[in-house]
Amino acid sequence: MNKLVQNEMMKLMAKKRLLVIAAIIGVLVILFTYAQYKQVQTQQEKLGTSDWRTILQQQIIDTTNRLTSSRISEEWKKQLQTTLQQEQYYLDHNINPSEPGAPTFIRIFLENSIDLFLPLMVMVIASDLVSSEHSLGSIKLLLTRPVKRWRVLLSKYITLCLAISLIVAIAGILSYGISGIVFGYRGWGTPILTGFSVTDTGLNTSSVRSLPLWQFILMDFGLVWLVAIVVGTLSFMLSVLIRSTAAGMGIMLASLISGAILSNMVSSWKSAKYLFMVNLRLTDYLKGAAPPIEGMTLSFSITVLLVWWAIALMVAFLSFTQKDIY
Amino acid sequence: MNKHIIRVITYISICVCLIWIIGLGFAVHEYYAGGPEKAPFSKATAKKTLNKKGLTVVALGDSLTRGTGDETGKGYVGDVIDEIKKRTNQQVTLLNLGINGQRSDQLKDQVQQKEVQRQIKGADIVLLTIGGNDLFRGGQGLIDFQTQNVGIVEKRYLDNLKFVLQQIRAVNTEANVFFIGLYNPFINLNQGKDISKVIRRWNYESAEISAAYPKVVFVPTFDLFELKVNDYLYSDKFHPNSKGYRLIAERVAALLTW
Repeated sequence: MNKLVQNEMMKLMAKKRLLVIAAIIGVLVILFTYAQYKQVQTQQEKLGTSDWRTILQQQIIDTTNRLTSSRISEEWKKQLQTTLQQEQYYLDHNINPSEPGAPTFIRIFLENSIDLFLPLMVMVIASDLVSSEHSLGSIKLLLTRPVKRWRVLLSKYITLCLAISLIVAIAGILSYGISGIVFGYRGWGTPILTGFSVTDTGLNTSSVRSLPLWQFILMDFGLVWLVAIVVGTLSFMLSVLIRSTAAGMGIMLASLISGAILSNMVSSWKSAKYLFMVNLRLTDYLKGAAPPIEGMTLSFSITVLLVWWAIALMVAFLSFTQKDIY
Repeated sequence: MNKHIIRVITYISICVCLIWIIGLGFAVHEYYAGGPEKAPFSKATAKKTLNKKGLTVVALGDSLTRGTGDETGKGYVGDVIDEIKKRTNQQVTLLNLGINGQRSDQLKDQVQQKEVQRQIKGADIVLLTIGGNDLFRGGQGLIDFQTQNVGIVEKRYLDNLKFVLQQIRAVNTEANVFFIGLYNPFINLNQGKDISKVIRRWNYESAEISAAYPKVVFVPTFDLFELKVNDYLYSDKFHPNSKGYRLIAERVAALLTW
């Protein structure tokens, strides 16, 4: 098994995919860093101060005023209210919700890339892991060896999981290294609040506690990794089922993007919560944002994702061991 | 590709994989951990006063402070700031804490917030509009303005106003406070004259209370909108438009000293 994994790893490295992915992440992180830097600057220029309490206070007032408008939808109103109460809580408890620094950048980057950007990167690797063997014709060579088919597939899957772990690590290292140039490398120990829960009556703050930022980021990474693994497994299954890499990628891409769109408008379609793509924003639960559909919790979303993961894995293995290859 | 490198990369991947799994376990565990013994509070205290550079203006109050109805979005506060900038080379900092539809009881809560107090403390000039929503209550005030109700509403408003001014003076004894009075947006309606009467008394009482505190200036606006009121009102016939805000700002600007 060890040898098989090594072999798969070698193939992966030879394709230089990881380098391409690292380059893409690097370029985007540069863009995001610049955007964030600009945003902070204009904010400070507008208010004429860099005191975070003043800026947060002004944000609270602005949000309150947006809430008084009659033109905004109920859902949006609820989300705004949640943010508002959270901001006020941060202010009352004298904690800066976005302490400037590379660690905060990492946190924001992870929160925003968990449902689309990182899954896309994972897809680049996962979706042709098996189908490329078909198109290259090397699948026959691979299967003529005296190794059971499921072992071949398992070695590919383990390699995928390792590659995904690497991608997540690359994203973390690049965003830390690049954003640190602008925002500074310190701030791992600053407190951040977690434990907000959204109820019908508003934000429940009874179980809020503060964590050091490094721990919060580690948790974020764990959740991002889980999402990446699930999305990777689904693309892996498609790559087994469909010979054409492009078709498999298209399907995956469509469902990921539909998830991003659906999350904004499914609040009245309750059963949509069993779709994997509306459950991808796991980090929102830690942050305490309102879930897209009422009643969704972290454990619910993780369960849904795991069920999809298990089914995908099962389908992939069954189909690969049964399929005629010609 | 060197076999050795591949092996190293594989081991690194296994390590980070384990780290992420630990992180995931942490996340699930932390999410379902119970509440803390005591609410979190950062010991890092805010500087008592904000670093003073130039002039600081804090605006408090309702939609007039917000600038609702002004196409340029500035409101009288923005106009006043422009005027100050014209007259001084100092850096001018504005914090606009006005909230649409705010009534005096809500303002009373607002000025008791810690951060708001800290901001007031650092202010050189405080601008204030309040009372319009108490009196008109989104149109309800128009219907029963003659009855006993107005008396009760006014009494409550005056108490709140007293509290607010007291609070401002308690945290900041130096800043000039400009309290903008009410105008009558309904002066051209049938009952305009009666409403004017109520507003005149309202303004009189407000001015009386302002006079009890040092450096609190009551700025009347009633006369500004007396003639040609419709030229100065926004399409909702309640808030001023750009021209109306300009009038208020000119009057405030004339009083400014620092």
